[in-house]
Amino acid sequence: MSASPIVLDGVDKTFISRRTGEKQQVFRDFSLRVEPGEMVAVVGASGTGKTTLLHLVAGLELPDRGTVTAGDGRPRLGVVFQQPRLLDWIPVEKNVALAARAAGVPRDDVAKVLADVGLADYAGAYPSVLSGGQRQRVAVARAFVVRPDLVLLDEPFSALDELTARRLRLLLQDLWLREQRTGLLVTHNALEAAFLADRVIVLADRPARVAREYRIARPRPRTPEDPDLFDVHREIVAALA
Amino acid sequence: MTLTDTARAAGHPLLGGTEPPAPAPARRNRALRVASRPLPAVALVLLLAAGWEIMARASDSAFLPGLGEVAGDLWEITESGALWSNVQVTLVRVALGFAAAFVVSLAVGIAMGRNEWVRRFLEPAVLIGLATPGLVKALLCIIWFGVSLVNPVLTVALAAAPPLTVNIVQGVRGVDPTLGEMAHIYRLSPLTRLRYVWLPAIGPALFTGARLGIAMAWKVIVLVEIFGLADGVGYQLNLEFSQHNVAGVLAWTIAFAVVMAVIEYGLLQTVERRATRWRKVSVR
Repeated sequence: MSASPIVLDGVDKTFISRRTGEKQQVFRDFSLRVEPGEMVAVVGASGTGKTTLLHLVAGLELPDRGTVTAGDGRPRLGVVFQQPRLLDWIPVEKNVALAARAAGVPRDDVAKVLADVGLADYAGAYPSVLSGGQRQRVAVARAFVVRPDLVLLDEPFSALDELTARRLRLLLQDLWLREQRTGLLVTHNALEAAFLADRVIVLADRPARVAREYRIARPRPRTPEDPDLFDVHREIVAALA
Repeated sequence: MTLTDTARAAGHPLLGGTEPPAPAPARRNRALRVASRPLPAVALVLLLAAGWEIMARASDSAFLPGLGEVAGDLWEITESGALWSNVQVTLVRVALGFAAAFVVSLAVGIAMGRNEWVRRFLEPAVLIGLATPGLVKALLCIIWFGVSLVNPVLTVALAAAPPLTVNIVQGVRGVDPTLGEMAHIYRLSPLTRLRYVWLPAIGPALFTGARLGIAMAWKVIVLVEIFGLADGVGYQLNLEFSQHNVAGVLAWTIAFAVVMAVIEYGLLQTVERRATRWRKVSVR
């Protein structure tokens, strides 16, 4: 089992608006460290750079200045996006198996991880016949089958109804307890952040800065109804407001 | 028993269950439905044939031979083996040319669809290829390559590639870019990306392009064979034409149309059905 740190050091990132042509600096001299095995949640209003932060760590964007290092420089990633990003033309099992094969993971692991996320019976089904929650489970299975050094979660359950989202958060917690990977969760949902993370960072302004930081001391496994988590949730919401 | 178990026990095909045998009346209805599918097309052909026969009898002209005469010529070229040997030659030329066009168009189309600079660089060439008449391509290839196999293959490739490329570019530009990000994150190999991401995603555009490309290929292969080669369907058409044998021209044309129909309905549509099977499963 390996867990890697994520380090952003003095990062600048500017976008040029396609509509107006104006420069929009999202990060200026931004630094953040996520310890190995730690799950950090990033919350903030829309446009504060949460998704850009995740894209920088995933290597989908490059910083204009500064460095983003994750693990040994080329960490194995497991990512769950807001939309599951599945290949609708191949069955569930194949969707997960493609990622597993590229990562050099034994084929047997695919069935195991599908069983872990409760989709053993749907291995041969096409993604388009699954519900939103089931599709997101496939995305979770794909993220964990590769034995990731880092798990990146980009508002993973925001498109789901609350009941389904709650079940998936519990599932994610179970996987987390077992795998103990380094994780970065970007979310609008303060309660989700408090429930899943060891540390919650509130981003504000543009260029983004860390406005507040909360350590969640509650041991895992946690329950969604934990009153302590509700207290943290209220504090985060107050900070966001 | 869970819902899934129930579904599997009921033979849900998506859950790996076996299809329960359909009851006899249902099977009969399905067979009837399948059998009646080509009826409208057959009705059109019969109507055209009847109209032709009426015209031929009314005009009583050598330029409008009756169906019996055309059928006689068709039988003759079939029995002598000329039909199959010439169709085979033409098909090989079209297949080789189309295969070359497909490979090049796929590479160029994906590059143009993904890279703006490449698109701007190659777009004029594709437009020139689209605008240049097939006859010009055929004549130039005859002049440059004479009677060698390169001539018909290159002509077909030049005719089929532009419409194929245009459709592939459109298909690639319509692909959800987030799938590319997913492929990047999970480090899918270029071959895996091509096979499981790009080709299925651009499938509909690819089939539209293939249809247009093959239609262009049929047109130019006949021209090349008429003007520059000594065998093939086009050459035989020209031979019958030079002998003022309209029945012969029609017999070869009908044979050619049948071959095209077999390729469209028997090959292209079968491949397309298989490639897009997942869509039908989704809408059940």
